[in-house]
Amino acid sequence: MHDDVKNQVKEMLNQDVVDLFLAYRMMDGHPLPFAFSRENIEEVEDLVTGPARYPLEKLALEILKIHPEATLGILARECDQRALNVLSTWNQLEAGRVKTIRLSCCPSNLKEHSDCSYLEPHVSGSCKTELGFEFGAKTEDLEALAPERRFSRWMYEFEKCIKCYGCRNICPVCFCRECSLEHPDLIGTGPLPPEVPLFHLVRAVHMAGRCIDCGLCEDACPAEIPLRLLYGKVNEIVKEVFGYETGTSPGQSPFQVLGTEMMPEPL
Amino acid sequence: MNCRIVPSICSYCGTGCGVLFLVVDGRLMGTLPMKTHPVNEGKLCIKGWNLHEYVNSFIRLKSPLLKKDGRFRKCTWEEAIGFTADRLRSIVREHGPDSVGVLVSAKMSNEENYLAQKFARVVIGTNNVDHCARL
Ligand code: SF4
Ligand code: SF4
Ligand code: SF4
Repeated sequence: MHDDVKNQVKEMLNQDVVDLFLAYRMMDGHPLPFAFSRENIEEVEDLVTGPARYPLEKLALEILKIHPEATLGILARECDQRALNVLSTWNQLEAGRVKTIRLSCCPSNLKEHSDCSYLEPHVSGSCKTELGFEFGAKTEDLEALAPERRFSRWMYEFEKCIKCYGCRNICPVCFCRECSLEHPDLIGTGPLPPEVPLFHLVRAVHMAGRCIDCGLCEDACPAEIPLRLLYGKVNEIVKEVFGYETGTSPGQSPFQVLGTEMMPEPL
Repeated sequence: MNCRIVPSICSYCGTGCGVLFLVVDGRLMGTLPMKTHPVNEGKLCIKGWNLHEYVNSFIRLKSPLLKKDGRFRKCTWEEAIGFTADRLRSIVREHGPDSVGVLVSAKMSNEENYLAQKFARVVIGTNNVDHCARL
């Protein structure tokens, strides 16, 4: 399967379909994101598809800020593809700027491996089990709890936050030029501990119609707060109320408040 | 168009978290945590997330400064090192080697810390060596 992907990448680069192709390459024993180019086409031989995941589409947006005329290729797992859909829905990505080679990452008995670091098992410690939510908890598990218990468990999780902004920084669909979580009149930077649960709820509201459930935020959270669970619940409501499935439904999100003009961040 | 993703180690503290720098046309554009790094396993604190900002900061010092008449002014490395050596030499001459202490840092490599203690013990002649990680 890898050879197949490698050949496709080489073809795209050689035929000038894309200027750079973003995928992964083993470097010093680590699978790291890598920009393959025509000039160094032989490097494509070292391409790997996993298992680590990075927001390749976010890297693409950064590159396009400097080279808005470039065309980029991306090795797209299902979450990357959903993120790209959201980015173009929200006018952050011009149509045709990014070409993908799709990668099926879903786990299956018919496959030797699945290309997703999120599927690695996580063991919850006794404190987390006792006071917060276990890794991999589902919204149904939470809804079975009495509201006060649920609230106190959420507060236990939120109070661990060190306000590193990692959840926002790694998120492929957090692209705002000015972020509410940093704006002095809204949440603001600075003092610790952060305002809980406000900090997390503001972000949760913003993820309505936007979060594509990639789990990168939860992976990056040093406090291991179940962020994916929170945003998952938000988008369950979006689906229920608006019939809109973030990342897959065509058309604009019901929360689209931005204009249609492309506004890449100034350098 | 040249785009590289460069693995490195965070330079803020002694923990040694793995980071990745996005470099486009020689310009440092962003920092990401290295997800497979054994130290930080894909997580960073707020300082690590902003490494590219201090590298690119316009108030970053790019040359040594020497204080003269109460004001800092730019100087060359030769001047700065020469001045420091002269002062150290005269302090040691007047007050003895134990009037000097050398403080090293967790942000430096093992080898640099080794060299600093060697400098304290052999060049200056004092055992007054300490480290910020011993707080
Ligand atoms: S799961 Fe987290 S990182 Fe991924 S899109 Fe949602 S909020 Fe962003
Ligand atoms: S969506 Fe919200 S949290 Fe994300 S960058 Fe925009 S303002 Fe910040
Ligand atoms: S990644 Fe976790 S600790 Fe960091 S700001 Fe987000 S919720 Fe808080």
